[in-house]
Amino acid sequence: MKLSSLGYNIKQGFKNIWRNRMFSVASIATMTACIFLFGVFFSILMNVNYMIKSLEEEVGVTVLFNEGVTQDQIDKIGEEIKSQAEVTKVTFKSADEAWAEFQKEYFPDNPEMAKSFADDNPLANSASYTVQVDKIEDQDKVVSFIKTLDGVRQVNQSSGATSTLISFNSLFTYVSIAIILILLVVAVFLIANTVNVGISVRRNEIAIMKLIGATDSFVRAPFIVEGILLGIIGAAIPLAILYFTYNWLINALLTKFGVLSSMAASLPNVNVVFRVLLPVGLLLGLGIGLLGSAITVRKHLKV
Amino acid sequence: MIDLDRVSKSYEKGQPAVDEISLHVDKGEFVFVVGESGSGKSTLIRLLLKELEPTHGIITVNGHVLNTMKPKAVPAYRREVGVVFQDFRLLNDRNVYENVAFAQHVIEHAGRNIRKRVPEVLRMVGLAEKYKSLPLQLSGGEQQRVAVARAIVNRPQILLADEPTGNLDPRNSYEIMKLLETINERGTTVLVVTHNKELVNRFQKRVITMRRGVIAHDQEEGGYIEA
Repeated sequence: MKLSSLGYNIKQGFKNIWRNRMFSVASIATMTACIFLFGVFFSILMNVNYMIKSLEEEVGVTVLFNEGVTQDQIDKIGEEIKSQAEVTKVTFKSADEAWAEFQKEYFPDNPEMAKSFADDNPLANSASYTVQVDKIEDQDKVVSFIKTLDGVRQVNQSSGATSTLISFNSLFTYVSIAIILILLVVAVFLIANTVNVGISVRRNEIAIMKLIGATDSFVRAPFIVEGILLGIIGAAIPLAILYFTYNWLINALLTKFGVLSSMAASLPNVNVVFRVLLPVGLLLGLGIGLLGSAITVRKHLKV
Repeated sequence: MIDLDRVSKSYEKGQPAVDEISLHVDKGEFVFVVGESGSGKSTLIRLLLKELEPTHGIITVNGHVLNTMKPKAVPAYRREVGVVFQDFRLLNDRNVYENVAFAQHVIEHAGRNIRKRVPEVLRMVGLAEKYKSLPLQLSGGEQQRVAVARAIVNRPQILLADEPTGNLDPRNSYEIMKLLETINERGTTVLVVTHNKELVNRFQKRVITMRRGVIAHDQEEGGYIEA
């Protein structure tokens, strides 16, 4: 198709949308709902993933040793743990360090009380390794391995919150994928229907075009353009709404709820989310529009 | 220019609409095709436009054998053939200029050519001043002139007219026929399907009379023969 014809057909596409504006509004509204929900689910998933990531960095496995274990043995245990593929980091904390930390945390204003223990470290047996694993799901495997090592007294894992978050995350993913898929099908159907109305209204014009010698692609182009435009408009509206409400929500969290401010600060900001959501959302809109109009044009526009 | 070799067209039931007709029309000819309704005139036009496929026989137009023409080649073929209908078939939501320009847009002419060619054709059909009017603001005769302008704007080799004066009063009918004659004088082969007896007799052109799907008479410079 020539460039001048492309311009003509794009103009015709816009005119089609205007001519059956009731149907256009309906399909744009459905698209808007569809992409809006997609955006919301996507943002929530991205945030939950962020939380899991940061929890994975914080939450570790603590390994405590039997009484009377020598430093050599402790080093050996450390080497064994490090040799596991899932393990990303192993930090050693001696009994003295543990005691110093404990004092700092519990008697910050009362060093006298701590001093009463003199050199008798009440945490003499609390030298430990803190082990971090790459994926929180691998933690159990690493823990059971460490338990088999000689000289290990106790292994503490504190992944309760994280595993809840993970199971929520996977459930949420499935539910949102299902809802989004249903909405996508509805959106494709509605756009196909809108384009079909345009085709019926313009039967006369299409017949004349064919008699004058319009090529198939020329007859079809305005309807494909119409579908794509409906899809893109239907995606741009919810993305704009999301862009501004996301900002507002994060700002509200930061300023109004002091408790959450530390959490909100670590959440991905709107630009990070939209770096992915914007192109994905627009492409999704374009794809739905293209698919919807292509289905109708193939079915009802035998040229 | 137009060659039909023993062409038949049958619809699902009954007698064929066109029954083994053979016909030859030379380049630059003006031909009337007359006959009662149901005699096969409109089927003939639709066969020539490749809207219908013949059941038997070979149709050759302007060097193209329509029977073996691939669907992809049909648009290019139709650009060589202009067509005018009884009911005008204009786009009522667009003005006169846009209706004529539409035919040029459809075959992807450049904008500057369209802006030059459309006023030229509108002058020729005598509607230069009404280019902004909508079809429904025009008389029947004027609407048919717009349709003729649209049919010839792409400079077709052949112009087919299916009952072009069927909806017009005698004066407008005569003027439309004069217009078709002028177009013919400029080199376009014209084939007019009609049952307007007076006009046919007045213009004294070649007349092909059809009856029940066959050619009953074919006269050079003849008149309307009653069936």
